[in-house]
Amino acid sequence: MNVAFYPGCSHHGLAQEYDHTSRLICSHLAVNLTEVEDWNCCGATAAHSLDHDLSLALNVRNLAQVKRGGHDSVVTPCSGCFSRLKTAAHEIRHDPDRLAEISRKLECPLPENVEVRHLLQLIVEEYSLDRIRALVKKPLCGLKAAAYYGCLLTRPAAVTRFDDPEQPRSMDNLLQALGAEPVTWSYKAECCGGGFNASEPVIALELGQAILDSAKNAGAEAIIAACPLCQMNLDGRQGEMTPPFGGKYDIPVVYFTQLMGLAFGYAWRELRFKKLIVNPRKLLEKYCLL
Amino acid sequence: MIETYAIRRPEAQESPIARQIREDLGIDVARCLECGKCTGGCSYAAGFDYTPRKIIQLVKLGEFDKLLSLDALWTCLSCQLCVDRCPSGINIPRIMDYLRARAHRANSNITHKNIEKFYEIMLSDIKNRGRISETIMMIKYNLAIKNLFANASFGKKLFLKGKLKFFSPRTHNIKTIQPLFRRLSEKDGQA
Repeated sequence: MNVAFYPGCSHHGLAQEYDHTSRLICSHLAVNLTEVEDWNCCGATAAHSLDHDLSLALNVRNLAQVKRGGHDSVVTPCSGCFSRLKTAAHEIRHDPDRLAEISRKLECPLPENVEVRHLLQLIVEEYSLDRIRALVKKPLCGLKAAAYYGCLLTRPAAVTRFDDPEQPRSMDNLLQALGAEPVTWSYKAECCGGGFNASEPVIALELGQAILDSAKNAGAEAIIAACPLCQMNLDGRQGEMTPPFGGKYDIPVVYFTQLMGLAFGYAWRELRFKKLIVNPRKLLEKYCLL
Repeated sequence: MIETYAIRRPEAQESPIARQIREDLGIDVARCLECGKCTGGCSYAAGFDYTPRKIIQLVKLGEFDKLLSLDALWTCLSCQLCVDRCPSGINIPRIMDYLRARAHRANSNITHKNIEKFYEIMLSDIKNRGRISETIMMIKYNLAIKNLFANASFGKKLFLKGKLKFFSPRTHNIKTIQPLFRRLSEKDGQA
C-alpha cells in the first residue's frame, strides 16, 4: 500500500520517537510511506486563529504537493496537522470558488479529492484486528492502558469522519488486540490544552491534570497518546502538576506506535522509550515486556 | 450536522455583526436554541469571561465592541466540542476564529497579549522558513514577553532528552509560501 506521509514540524524535535516508530510500524505493516515533498507547516493553531484563509492556503499547498507526488491519499501521525489538512480538504469540497482563488495565487493545480487520514485511522481502517493479532509476538498481557484520543482526532465529526466523537473505541480495540487491557474512563476525548503549553501553561496544566486524574482513578498504568502535542503536555508537564492528595504523578505517556512496536517484538532501544520524560521502564519490566 | 433551514425574521432584528457572520461565514446565529450544550461541554468554560452560549447571545444583541475585547477569544482551545454538540450545528469555533481575527486586525483591547504574540511569532516563522522550529520559536517568545526564564524547567527537561534542536529543516521553495502572507497584509490595509 502506497501513501504520502506528512510528518509535521514536531517530528524533527519534540516527537522524534513518534516519527521514528510511526515509520517503523508502517514498514512492518507493509505500508509504503513517501514523505510529501517540500511540505510546509500546517499552521496549527496560529494560522486559523488569526486568519482563516491563510490556514486554508497553507494546507491547500500541502495537498497540492501530495498530488504532485502522484498520491491521492496522505497520512499524518499528528492530530493537529490531521485536523488542519482535513479541514482544508473538507472546505475544498464545499467551497470550490475559494479554492480556485487560492490555487491561482499559489500557481498550482487544484488538489481535489485528496484523502486525509490520521495514522491511527489508516491502521484501524486498513487492517482488521485479526491481522494485527496475528502479528503480535509479545502480547502486552495485563497492561492497564488508558487510550487517549484528545480533541482533534475525532472532532468535529462532520469533518474528521472517524470514530465516535464522544466515545471513540478504535484505539481501545487496537490495544485489546495487542493484548493490553484498555480501561474505561471518561476523559478519553477531552482536550488537554496542549496548544497553550508554551503561551499559557496555566491552562495546559489545569486541563492536563484533569486527564491524568481521570486515568489514574480508572486504574490506568499508562496513557496512550496519538498526538505529539498531547503527549508533550501530559508527559513533559507532569512534574509541574500537583495531585490533589499530595505526592507526585508518575504515569508514563507513550505513543500507540511504541506499544504496537513492543507487541510486534521490537526492542526497547529501537522504540526510543528513553526519549519519554516519565520513564516507562519499571512498568514494562513489571509485565516482563523488555 | 443537521440541514440548514431558513428562519423568517424581520430584517431589523438581525444585529450588524450577526448579519456579517451570516454573510461571511454562512452561519446563522438565529438558529441558536439557547440550550447551553456548548457551554456544558466546553473544555475551558469555567475560565471564560463569557461562556459560548453567552457569546452567541452577544452576537445576536450586536455587542460588537464587547465581542472584540472578550478574553474568551484568546483562551478558547478550538477543541471543537461545542460545534459537535450543538443541535443546530452552529460552528462556534469558526465564529471565535472570525472574531479573534477581527480583534487582531483592529488591534483592539486584547487581554491575552501573550497568546496573540505567540501566534504572531509562529506565523512569522512559517513565513520565513515554511516550517517552524520549536526551539527558536520558544526563544523568540521568551524575548517578546521579556521573561527569559518562562518555561525554563520544562525546557530543561526537553533539552536533556535531546528534543531541542537549533537547526531544523525548512521548506526549500519558500517563494511559494510568501504570497499567501501578502494576502494577510492586504487585509491589514483594509481594516
